[in-house]
This record gives sequence, C-alpha cells and structure tokens, in this order.
Amino acid sequence: MSAMESFRRVVIMGEMHGRDLTKRHAALGLLVALPLSFYLSSAGTGDKAIVAGGVGMAFAVSGATLFSVLSSGEVDQRLVLSGYRLHELLLGRLAFLGPLGLALAAAFGALMSTVSDPARPWLTFVGVAAVALLSIPFGLAVGSAVPRELEGTLILIGVVGMQLAMSPTSTLARLLPFHGPQVLISSSLSADGPIAWPLALTFLYGAALLVLARVLVARRVAVTRHVPPTRATHTHRPEPGSP
Amino acid sequence: METVGSAPAGQLVVSQVSKRFGRLMVLDRVDLVVRRGEVIALTGENGAGKSTLLRICAGLVRADAGVVRVGGRIGYCPQAPGLFELLTADDHLVMFGRGAGIGRAESLRLGHEILEEFGYPRHDRSVTRDLSGGTRQKLNLALALLADPAILLLDEPYQGFDRGTYVNFWDHCRTWRDAGKAVVVVTHMLAELERVDRVVELPAHPSRLDAGRAG
Repeated sequence: MSAMESFRRVVIMGEMHGRDLTKRHAALGLLVALPLSFYLSSAGTGDKAIVAGGVGMAFAVSGATLFSVLSSGEVDQRLVLSGYRLHELLLGRLAFLGPLGLALAAAFGALMSTVSDPARPWLTFVGVAAVALLSIPFGLAVGSAVPRELEGTLILIGVVGMQLAMSPTSTLARLLPFHGPQVLISSSLSADGPIAWPLALTFLYGAALLVLARVLVARRVAVTRHVPPTRATHTHRPEPGSP
Repeated sequence: METVGSAPAGQLVVSQVSKRFGRLMVLDRVDLVVRRGEVIALTGENGAGKSTLLRICAGLVRADAGVVRVGGRIGYCPQAPGLFELLTADDHLVMFGRGAGIGRAESLRLGHEILEEFGYPRHDRSVTRDLSGGTRQKLNLALALLADPAILLLDEPYQGFDRGTYVNFWDHCRTWRDAGKAVVVVTHMLAELERVDRVVELPAHPSRLDAGRAG
C-alpha cells in the first residue's frame, strides 16, 4: 500500500472524527465551560486562577478525545477489518484533535494573559498548549481502557481534579500527568521559573501516554488477518502491534 | 494459533474451532466449510455461538483453538448496527470505502447503488442516530458489500427490515451465490431455510463436536 493511500486514510479519519465531534455541541460546550468557570470564578484570587484555568483545560481536550474514542468503539474494529491500519486510525484522530486542542489553548491563553497579566505571557501559551497536547494521548489511553463514557469521565475528573487540588511540590502531584504543564504555567507568572525540565517532563509523559494508548487501542480493535490463498501459510496474522 | 495452508479462492474453511468465555464453552471444535457460490444458513438456539463463530471467521474475535482459512476479502454485517451515530450514510460509505482503497466518488456511487437495491431512502442526509433500526441495517449491509467481498458473513442482517426488503434480501442471497460468493447467514427464520443451499445448526449443549458437519 502506498504512502499516499495511507495519508488519504488518515485524512478521511480526521475529517470524519471532526464531523462527529463537532456535532456534539452540548457536550463540547460543557467541556469548555468547565475550565472556563474554574478560571473566571477564581480570577480575582491571584496566581491560583491561571493555573486552575490552564490545567483545567485538560477536561476539555481529554474529554473530547474520550468521547471520540468511545463513540467509535464498535466501528473501529470493522474499519480495521475493512483495511485500515491501527496507526491510520490513531493519526486520523490526532489530525483533528491536535489542531482543535491548540486552537482552544490559544483562546484560553489569550483570555488568561489578558485578564491575569502574567510576567511571561508567551510561557502561559506554551503551558496551556502543553496541557492541550498532553490531554490527547491521555484521553486516548483512558478511552481505550474503559468500556463506557461514565467510567472514563470519572477517571478524567479524578486525575485532573487531583492535579488541581494537590500542592505541586507533593510527591504524588509530581507523578500525575499534568505536572509538567502545571509548572510551566506557574513559571509564566514570574520572570525566573523553570522551563526546560517541565517541558521535557511533558514530552516524556506525552510519549509514554501515546505508547500506552497505542497498546490499549491495539487490544481493543485487533483483527485477526486471514492470509489470501496466493500468499504464505499463516492462517491467522495479528494486526501489527496487537498483543 | 495453529498455522495451516490457506483456503481455495472464495472458500471459508473452519477447522476444530473452540471458544470459551470464562467457564462457558461457547464453541467446541466446530468444523465448517462454505464453498464458492454457496449460501449457508447458520442456525441454533440463543447462546449457541452463532454470532461468536461469525466474528471469529471475520477475525474480530480470537478463537481459543482451531484454524480459520479464508480465500478472499470478507464482508461482515453485524447483528447490531455499530455505526457513528452523528455521521450520515454517505460519511460511512466514504470512510469504509477508503479502507478498501476505493475513492470518495466511487464509494458513494457503489454505496448508493447497493442502498437503492434495498430501498434505502434516496438522498437521505440524516445522521444514523435518527434512522430506524431497519434503515441502519441496510447501511450496514451496504458497508459489508461495498468492496465486493468474496465471502459474506451476515449476522441476522434483516433485523428491522420491512416485509418487501426482507424478501428482497433473500433474493439477493441467490444473486450473491450466482456471483460466486460464499455466503453465511445467521438466521432464526426457519421459513426461509429452503432458500439456502445448506443449513448448519450449532447445538446448544456444551459439546458441539462436529456441529459444522451437519450439512
């Protein structure tokens, strides 16, 4: 199969996931309203608001990703049967969710930079963008691990809620996925906060979550391939990457 | 999983396939051969493992033991319409068509042809959530047929069909057979069994040895 054909499949998947998700008006509105309300309700309390709003945006992006994964639970396996490769399904989702997350991050970053006036506004944008991008593999992993939206939503609330509620210096907070972006956003409030290590931590956590999501999605949509008559002798050939 | 040679073109060969869910043995060493140009009705009581066997043949469920040999592309129509609820029929045709390497325009042309054969409302732009159960199954059937598969695995695909479409479906089985496809239809409709070439009944008791040899 040519790279161009694979690219077309990724584009189609991105287009269809976009169409599906953008029709969920109420759900998306509520997901965006949640971190917005976190931020606006604490906007007058100082530094805490910008961190709450920025990290709270993980609800919006990981929630949208979660809905995207779980709404296609029954279809994904048939898409693999029809000829799609696992990485095409994943890249198709990322092709839509990545730009969506970054657009949301830009809007949130602009709002918070205007209202809260951080010392380094550009770093606020970087931190919120890190939240958005990290939320996608996080939502993919959670969505692939749970059977229904209720369980997935509760996990999102639990993890993001803990990240917001705990002191960033506590040991457990350092282990949670959004610690790196949280530190980045906090650093944007002063002229000398750390940048390099929280950025590296975000990257590492994102890569680890992507690998985990890849494994979980493979388990969920694995299709046993039957070899056509003119080829080799293995009757059952698991989808590459499936366990 | 054992490895063996592949099936002749257009054939489906199931050898000694077993499947257990927890402590429940659903399929026990089932054998089944469906030849090119043959329509088989797969019957049995609820829980006999008909849908599981079809899903194993399609590759959607892994057998605990045994082998499945498939001589060509599979078209699979599930019992329950698992579709994107907020996408239209055209969206699904484009998406599934691309999986088989078919372009957007050709997927729509082929898909519309199949849908019209089953009386799908012309120019319907509704999302699948708003469609009736029977209409959704027509779309599922079209998705199974879109890439002109050699082997059709149909799990009670007529659920919700009106009378006319239901009769039409069995007429199509004959057409598919004449076109050389191997067709397996899971069915409880005993009145239609005379319209198939062979009936294979999966027994409901725990030991299902040689069930597929019945025909």
